Amino acid sequence: MKIRLWLSWLCVVTVALGSLLVAAIAEDPPATEAERAYEIKATILCPICDGQNVLESNAPVAAAIRAQVDELVEQGRSDEEIRAWMARQYGADVNAIPPRTGVASLVWMVPVFVAVVSVGALVFAFVRWRAGRELEVSEEDLRIARALREKN
Amino acid sequence: MTAFLGTVGVGIGLVGAIGGAVTLVMALSFRRREHHLRVFWWVGAMTAGCVLAVLAMEIGLLRDDFSMQYVAANSTRATPWLYKVATLWGALEGSLLLWALVLSGYVAAVTASFRRRIEDRLVAWALLTMLAVCVFFFGLLAGPADPFGTLLVAPPDGDGLNPLLRNHPLMAIHPVMLYLGYVGFTVPFGFAVAALITGRLGEGWLVTTRVWTLIAWGSLTVGILLGAWWSYEVLGWGGYWAWDPVENASLLPWLTGTAFLHSVIVQERRGMLRVWNLSLLLATFALTIFGTFLTRSGVIDSVHEFSASSLGPLLLGLFAAILVLSVALVGWRGDQLRSPGSIDSPVSREGAFLANNLLFTLFAFVILLGTVFPLIVEAINNDQLAVGRPYFDRMLLPLGVALLLVMGVAPLLTWRSTSGQLLGTRALGPAALGALTMAAAVWLGAEGLGPVLGIGLGGFVIGSAVRHLALTARRQGWRAATGRSGGGMVAHIGVSLLAFGFIASTSFSEEGEFQLRPGEVGSVAGHQIRFVQLTDEMDGPNRVVRAQIEVEGRGFYAPAITQYPTFGRPIATPSVATSLVDDVYLSLVAIPEENSDVVVVRVLVEPLVGWIWVGGFVIAAGTVLAILPGRRNSHSEMEDIFA
Repeated sequence: MKIRLWLSWLCVVTVALGSLLVAAIAEDPPATEAERAYEIKATILCPICDGQNVLESNAPVAAAIRAQVDELVEQGRSDEEIRAWMARQYGADVNAIPPRTGVASLVWMVPVFVAVVSVGALVFAFVRWRAGRELEVSEEDLRIARALREKN
Repeated sequence: MTAFLGTVGVGIGLVGAIGGAVTLVMALSFRRREHHLRVFWWVGAMTAGCVLAVLAMEIGLLRDDFSMQYVAANSTRATPWLYKVATLWGALEGSLLLWALVLSGYVAAVTASFRRRIEDRLVAWALLTMLAVCVFFFGLLAGPADPFGTLLVAPPDGDGLNPLLRNHPLMAIHPVMLYLGYVGFTVPFGFAVAALITGRLGEGWLVTTRVWTLIAWGSLTVGILLGAWWSYEVLGWGGYWAWDPVENASLLPWLTGTAFLHSVIVQERRGMLRVWNLSLLLATFALTIFGTFLTRSGVIDSVHEFSASSLGPLLLGLFAAILVLSVALVGWRGDQLRSPGSIDSPVSREGAFLANNLLFTLFAFVILLGTVFPLIVEAINNDQLAVGRPYFDRMLLPLGVALLLVMGVAPLLTWRSTSGQLLGTRALGPAALGALTMAAAVWLGAEGLGPVLGIGLGGFVIGSAVRHLALTARRQGWRAATGRSGGGMVAHIGVSLLAFGFIASTSFSEEGEFQLRPGEVGSVAGHQIRFVQLTDEMDGPNRVVRAQIEVEGRGFYAPAITQYPTFGRPIATPSVATSLVDDVYLSLVAIPEENSDVVVVRVLVEPLVGWIWVGGFVIAAGTVLAILPGRRNSHSEMEDIFA
């Protein structure tokens, strides 16, 4: 019975890991210039519309930015250079990805810090609960329990 | 005259709310029965006043009474009647009127359903808290956000709503559902405050408010999803969620509310987590007010800014007051809130609920931080920066995956502690379903570690929910799907369907933009689209250009683009060829040039996007089933006891 359970799990895990492996291999990084330009455009916000990136917006300025991204990609500029260029041209708030330097980096770090602290707090609570439970049962308690059981 | 009736209505509402609150204070001080009974009259008057005010506004809108400032600013003669009715919640003052109506409705319903316990101090304090909130909102309507201002000279026609708000019938339902959710949390909030004040901190008040919390949560869920659907059908960019500040603001109370719905089970079952549950509930209500502050104050740029106003400081004040009151009350009752009992093992049902709560709270925290972060940075060093979709996607993906995992594991666990062997036996079926889902997804062409893992976990969640339902159904038949655990499992299935739709449509969508002459064909992701012809018509003062497009195998569709004389840029009306496999989303990019028959059409192919709406429907059904009384001692619980 137990062996059968183990074997079944082996099958399940094999199928799952196999699928994940195939999925991971099938996904290739942006290869062509057009793909790279597309990914950059998805992270540049249209300066006059609220919350839409330049891919989604129909505004003329969004169309202009799309063309500029294509041109800069063609010139062989790196993603970072293009983003910096856009920030100089249209203001830092067209970059949908907050920077990882300066005060702005807090937006990336604080959640990780909070997550670590709260998981730690939960672990601490479990340890304390466990300790508390061990303290609760004294010899005296056990003696009373035994006495009661005999009585019944 | 109509405006006058409205003002009278608001006045009656305000007096009713104040009168009710004062009566309750007297009733609580002197403990006299007749004081308690008088509350019925005050609440009745308040509700009647509010209904009168809403009727006055609707009559003004439907009869094109442009002597009313609100009507002149937000409606036109040409507006179809459905949108005239919906104009009530199309702008700030009217939407506050709707808020007051929903709030009065809830207070009246609570008063009616607790009529036999009206002398109960818990109920009295709860009503008093809710009436205090009513006083605030009627106060806004009576002064700073008066919807019934009049114009000396009535213009011949009004300005009309932002055209985005009047081209889809969902606009008539989405805000109402959202408000039913937002405002509905006032009821559990009132009872939480009452429990803290009276010191009756046992589980009684939780059981009392269970149905109300579920109604509010269900409405909020549906309201948010209808908003997403509206945005998909109307905005023309093919998306439904942009991590826009106002969307985030609606998600925040939903997240803490969902955390509460789960952790409250631990309290009812084990008497634990009292402080935590109260805090979640207080936070949920506070966040609804905070969300309203974000929407209504204009501090943050957002597509929802159409109703920005100067009410910011008042709403922020209310938010601060709620926060201070909550912290003070929880602090004051701290000793009594210390709960007995402990959690024995992390691998247990209650352990899973704790994990759920941790994840939901972190989720909410990330969204709150990302939403207000630009404001914080601007305040610190005057820098302008944006926190956009890529940030939320990256930060929330691991949390979402972990939530799906917990969602699948939790129903398999027993209370107190679960042995590895038992979990191994129970999890096998659901895990097999998950693995098969992944294999199927990969076979159908899905790629990428994150998306495929998410899809697999979705299958796992469905497996574990179906297992739970099937085991219970052996004893109870169809009633297995009712009650908290049954309805909850149905909702879990809905969440998985929604996750499938969300993951597939965000990860595997393809798009193309085509310049087409009549008869020409474009192709995206195996879908052929053929441009048939263009029509260019005037609809009243508006120029509507419509392209007839054939989507191969799906039929004819007609995306349009409209130039409104009163509104700057043209508004595209997309057209979607929907199926359960994928949606072909057509939208016109620009108004074609004069005497040209070339259209620029954007085509998006989004797989499984329809599953999001189906999932939303299943979640709503699950909520309704959860409200129906289920059987206690369900099979799974018996199983837990003997396991």
